[in-house]
Formats: sequence, C-alpha cells, structure tokens
Amino acid sequence: MASSKKKVASSARSPGLSYQELLDTDSLPAPPVLRLESPLELPPSFVPRDRYTSRAFHDLEVEKVWKKTWQMACREEELAEVGDHYVYDVADLSILVVRAAEGELKAFHNVCLHRSRRIKTHSGRSEELRCPFHGWAWNLDGSLKRMTSPWDFSHVKPKDCQLPEAQVATWGGFVFINPDLEAESLASYLGDLTEHFDRWPLEKRYKSVHVARVLSCNWKVAQEAFMEAYHVLSTHPQLLSGIGDTNSQYDTWENFSRAITPNGTPSPHLDFEPSEQDRLDAVTNRYIDEDPVMVLPEGMTSRELLGQASRVQLASLVPGASELTDSEILDSFYYTVFPNFHPWGAYNLITYRFRPYENDPHSCIMEVMYLSPYRGKRPKPCEIHWLGRDEDFTKAPELGFLGRVFNQDIYNLAEVQAGLRAGVHENLVFANYQESKIRHWHAVLERFLEG
Amino acid sequence: MAKLRHSLTDGTYERLPSGLVRVEERGLTGLFEANGRWHSGELRDADPHMIGWVGGPQKGFPPVSAEKKAPKTDSAAQETESTSKQSARSSGMNLNLAGKKALVTAASRGIGLAIAQSLADEGVEIALCARSEGGLEEAHKDLEARGVRVFSQAVDVGDGDALRAFVQASAEALGGLDILVCNASGGSGMGDEAWQANLDIDVLGAARAVEAATPSLKESDSASVVFIASTAALEYLGVPQPYNAMKAALLAHASDLAQALAPAGIRVNSVSPGPIYFEGGNWEMIKNAMPAIYERTLAQCAIGRMGRPEEVANAVTFLASPAASLITGANLVADGGLTKRVNY
Repeated sequence: MASSKKKVASSARSPGLSYQELLDTDSLPAPPVLRLESPLELPPSFVPRDRYTSRAFHDLEVEKVWKKTWQMACREEELAEVGDHYVYDVADLSILVVRAAEGELKAFHNVCLHRSRRIKTHSGRSEELRCPFHGWAWNLDGSLKRMTSPWDFSHVKPKDCQLPEAQVATWGGFVFINPDLEAESLASYLGDLTEHFDRWPLEKRYKSVHVARVLSCNWKVAQEAFMEAYHVLSTHPQLLSGIGDTNSQYDTWENFSRAITPNGTPSPHLDFEPSEQDRLDAVTNRYIDEDPVMVLPEGMTSRELLGQASRVQLASLVPGASELTDSEILDSFYYTVFPNFHPWGAYNLITYRFRPYENDPHSCIMEVMYLSPYRGKRPKPCEIHWLGRDEDFTKAPELGFLGRVFNQDIYNLAEVQAGLRAGVHENLVFANYQESKIRHWHAVLERFLEG
Repeated sequence: MAKLRHSLTDGTYERLPSGLVRVEERGLTGLFEANGRWHSGELRDADPHMIGWVGGPQKGFPPVSAEKKAPKTDSAAQETESTSKQSARSSGMNLNLAGKKALVTAASRGIGLAIAQSLADEGVEIALCARSEGGLEEAHKDLEARGVRVFSQAVDVGDGDALRAFVQASAEALGGLDILVCNASGGSGMGDEAWQANLDIDVLGAARAVEAATPSLKESDSASVVFIASTAALEYLGVPQPYNAMKAALLAHASDLAQALAPAGIRVNSVSPGPIYFEGGNWEMIKNAMPAIYERTLAQCAIGRMGRPEEVANAVTFLASPAASLITGANLVADGGLTKRVNY
C-alpha cells in the first residue's frame, strides 16, 4: 500500500483532537488503512462558476469525462443470470451491460445499427437483444443474430453488424463501464482504492436500498455537498454534539479521495463541552422532551457504547466483526472515485452516484444505495425507487433516519444552482483543507480536460 | 411534541400539531412553515435546516422548485410499479391535510366551529363566514391561535351574490381552495318563511357555494366537498318540517354532484349528524323548553347520549382529507345509533 506522511501544502488544521489522535484512544489497534495520511498538496483552488452552469462546459464534460472514464453502471448481482442486462444512461450515452455468458460480462452501445433506436429501454432479462422497431436482433455476445427481411439488405454484411462495445470490468461487486476502448484498465484506474477496501469487502454485501431522485442543480453541485463535513455546522446543527466535523481527515490519491469524519465526539465549534450522554443523544437523534434512545452506563463513553452496540449487531453478519475498531464501526469514511462514484468505507453501507439529468447543466440525478451485509444466501438486490422530482426523501422510508438528513442537504442545492446562475463573480473559492476532496476532484477533472 | 435544541444558538425547535414549527431563540418566539418560511411571531430569522428537521416529513420540505419534469425513462418507467408500492408503505393512517385550504360556512359556533377547529388542528388554512359579526371575531382568533392562516367575513349564505363574492374572496385570500364544507342552515321552523329559508340557505347555499368554488377546487390535487345534512332527512323524527325535506334535497344534490364532479377530481360527500348537544345549541333549548321531546330523542340514541360537535367534525375532517380519496357520493351518518334503518 502506498504509504503515509507526505508534506502538507497548508498545515492549518482545526483545533481539537485530530482523527489520528482519536484513533489512539480506540479500544483496538487501528489497521494501517486508517493510519494512512495523504493530504492534498496543491495551491488554493479557484473554480470557474461556469463549470456548473454552462451547456458548453457540459458538452466538454461529455467528450472528456463521460466518454473517457470508468463509471459504475450497476451491481454485479443485478446481472446474475445469462441474459440479464442493465441500461446505464449518462447525458446522451446509453450503455447496455449484459451477462453474455456464465462468468462473462459485455457492455455495448445501446443502439440499433439499423435505424438507431435504443435497443433496450429497460433493464431486464432476455435471450437476445432485439430492437423493438423492426425486429433486428443480436446475440448476447453482440453478434448479429437476425435482420428482418435479409433479402432487402444484400448491401449489408452481417459480420459488419457487431454491436460496438465499451470496456467493462468489476470491482467490489460493482460493474464498471468505460466507453473509451483505449483507456487504462479498471484496476489501474482505481489504484490503491482496492487495498483500502480489503477489510470491508463490498462484494460480500447486497444492494438493500436504492433510491433515486432528480435534483434541480448541476450534478457537481450535488456531489460536492457530500464530499466534506464543513457544511455540518450550518446544515445539520442537530448533530453537533456528536460529530467531530472539523476534526475530519481528508486524503487524496490519484483518481480517488476520502474523508473520515468521527462520530460520537463533539464539534470543536461548540463553546461548551457536551456530556457523553449529549453526544450519544445527538448521534441517536433524541428530542429533548423524549426519553433517551440509550442511556450511558456510568463511566462509559458514547463512542464505547455505540461501538459495542453496533459490533453486536454486525457480529452475526460479518466474519471478524469483533476485530473491527471503534472507528470502523462508528466513523464516516466517504470515498470519491472520479468522476461520480462515492462508496463509503467500513460498515456505513452508503454508496452515492451523481450524474447529469439528460443534457441539462441545471439538473441531475442523485442515487443512494445501501450495501448491507447478509448471512447465508445472497438476498435479491432491491429495485430502484424513483422519487418524484420534488418529493421529500422521507417518502423513501427504506432510507431510515438518513432521509431527513438528506432533506437538509438537498434544501441548499436548488438555491446554490440559482445563485450560480445569478452570480456575477468569476470563481468559486474552497476551503484549503476541509474542501480538499473537492479541490482534488477539480484537479483530476482538469487532467482529463487536457488529456 | 418533538422538541430539539440547536447546539449553537441554544434555541428550541418544536413541531406543532398544525405542522408549523415554533422556535424560541434569543428570547424571541416565532412560528415557521416547515419549508423555513416565516409565518408569525417576533422571531423572523431561524435556522431553516433545523425547522425542516423537526417540521418534516411533510409537504413543502424541501422547497418545491418551479420547474417540473418527470424522471427520464432509462430505467424509471419499468420501476414505476414497484416504486408506487414502496411509497405506499407507511405507518398508520395519515390525513395529509397540512397546508390545505378549506372554506367552512356558518363556522362561528357549534358544529361549524368544531369542523373549522378540527381542520385547523391538522394544519388546514381556514376561510369561514357567519351570518353576523358576533362570535366571528372570536372564532377567527381561536383558529389563528392554532397556527394557521384564517380569513373570515360576515355573510348571509342565503344571499347568492354575497355568497359567491365570499367564496371568491376566500380563494383569493388563501391562494386556492381544496376543501368546501357547507354547514349553514336555515334551522327548523314551520310555514312558508321556513320553507324559503331552508331552500335559500341549506340547499341553494350549498349548491351556489359549490358552483362558485368549482374553478378553485379543480386546481387542487385533492378536492373535497362535504355537505352537512341531517338524520331528519333519513327517517321520520316526529314533526313534518321544511328542514327535513330540504336536507333530503341537499343529499340528492350531493349524489348528483359526486357523479358530475368526479372527472374533475372533486369528491362530494355528506355527513348527517343526529342530535348534537352543545351549550347554546338547539338541543339545549329543546331540553329546557320541550323536555319531553328531548327525553324521547335521547332514548332513541343507541349509544345512550347525544353527539358532540367534535364528533361530527371528526367525520367531516376524514371525508375532507386525502385519506378518504376513494370515497365520493357517500352519506356518512354520525348519530350514535339514532336512526334504525338498515344502511345498504
């Protein structure tokens, strides 16, 4: 694993415990992945406002990002049987991922070579890939199976009718595609990320929740709202007694980054010292006129109690759960893989994906998946649950308590987009450290724009 | 009610039954809609995220953007069925009335006031009228104290022009109408004048109000009309009166409207209360003036007592709410078993 301490461009850090100091108090020794530190070494970032508002920039992204990068298309468990297929759309691209044979995945451009209808409108299972317009059909390996009235197509050779492919590969139980056939392999693109997840194998989970919603903002506005803990103070004030927002650690590598935000420890923003019970209450969403969800036994810290409770829950589902540190059980490890894939580490279950909604720079699709551990036979992955464009996240009860947290996040986003459109300033400014994941992301973007 | 403390400002955020959020911060108090918009009170500036946190889940949070577009068909259409199944999952019945707008006629006292109060407690904004100013102002204040917007006016429901103008003014004041409750009545009496009063107020008062409110109700995604009829229209209760016949006419008209307005998404139902006893009401007067009739009627009530206005209001509130989305053309009898017929 590529190793630790690099020189820090800006050494400014929040007052209070650092995440590494908090790790020292863990009831178990921390594994090396938690000890890694790789802060961003870049001068302060200024990002042009029109990256979020201009159709021309969107078109550039299509050419330089969506046609060139590895993107998570679906879960491999959604392509379990031969003939299973999944339609992954982004901007004008439509990629059809197919279980072509036992142990073999294929990705095709989802377009009929006759009159260009999208071959599959929906994900599903079929024995052949048939275009509903005139009935041309392809085998699951992309070779032409049948044209209708072949006597009328003496000028077309069936062997020239192989469906154009995209690259396809898997990691962590996810299926990734890349329209660029020249691009480096997925394994090389992900780099050290695969080692980071060695302790938390996502391929051993199943997709238990999948909620999608169209948001009224650029896709980058949406995902950047989920890449830092700097917004917690003002957007989730109810959490402050139990979240070390500014104690978070931010690390960046080649195509991915991560943040670690400790829970069950108070925000350094507070000018008082919350009791251990206060910290527990903030994490468990307790109202002041209701009984506490859990009462701390004498002499126990909130982190110890939360760690113990979750470890017991995980014990029956995850082999080796007893060896997980308090931090792995409690803290938020939110990774970002360029351009739009956000798997969470340890056992926090969340994965996000963001993409433009059609070709509109002012709207996007946000998806939330939960990847749950299971025992015995793998449960079937859940179907996607589309909320209406303006529907409350609590209308997806399967999200649990987080639906309400997402509502608080989403509350800002349409306003941000409106402000980006209304503004006359040239650039957005970012916090040097707390927003270093976003700064790193834009640096990777710039690399792809040049490439 | 759930109350939460803001760790930084030390303010408290509390959700009221109306769906509004009461914030006490910096020694000031304010009421806010769940989307963060100020409603009333001295405190005008509070944290919208905290308001949303304790005020949600409900309509209006997060704020609705102007532009509406259906999700793309990529995999959305196919999933619609399972989606709707999942969305329907919820714990218990939810009336989903918060933020709706209702007009209730003759609502300064008795059954009408109880209906307005019950709706206001569910977060419904209220337009109400009464024949005279007396009592109207008090009712207005009572309803406002329940944390909703209120519009009130003295109106003679028997005067077609005045009634139409009031319906229009109500829709303008509240910014639309989802619910219309026609409660006004000419009361019981005998002779030509009583016939005319019951025709003008009970029947025409309802028919004209529906006519005038229909354009607004068509705009609603959950429009509901409720007529207050009477068990006197259903069984012979001892005295032939114009009131009884006119309430029967009202029921017939409700049935017609239920059919005619269903395509426009407007439900029309009736509630037929039996004897309802409240201070200053008819039955208190009868009890004192004609104790024999009071006793005889009480004996007819299978549950051994007369009804209370709130009990009628509960029936109306349900029918008015989206929870009753399948019910139209019904006559819900709320009489504690006074009537003996079989309801097929």
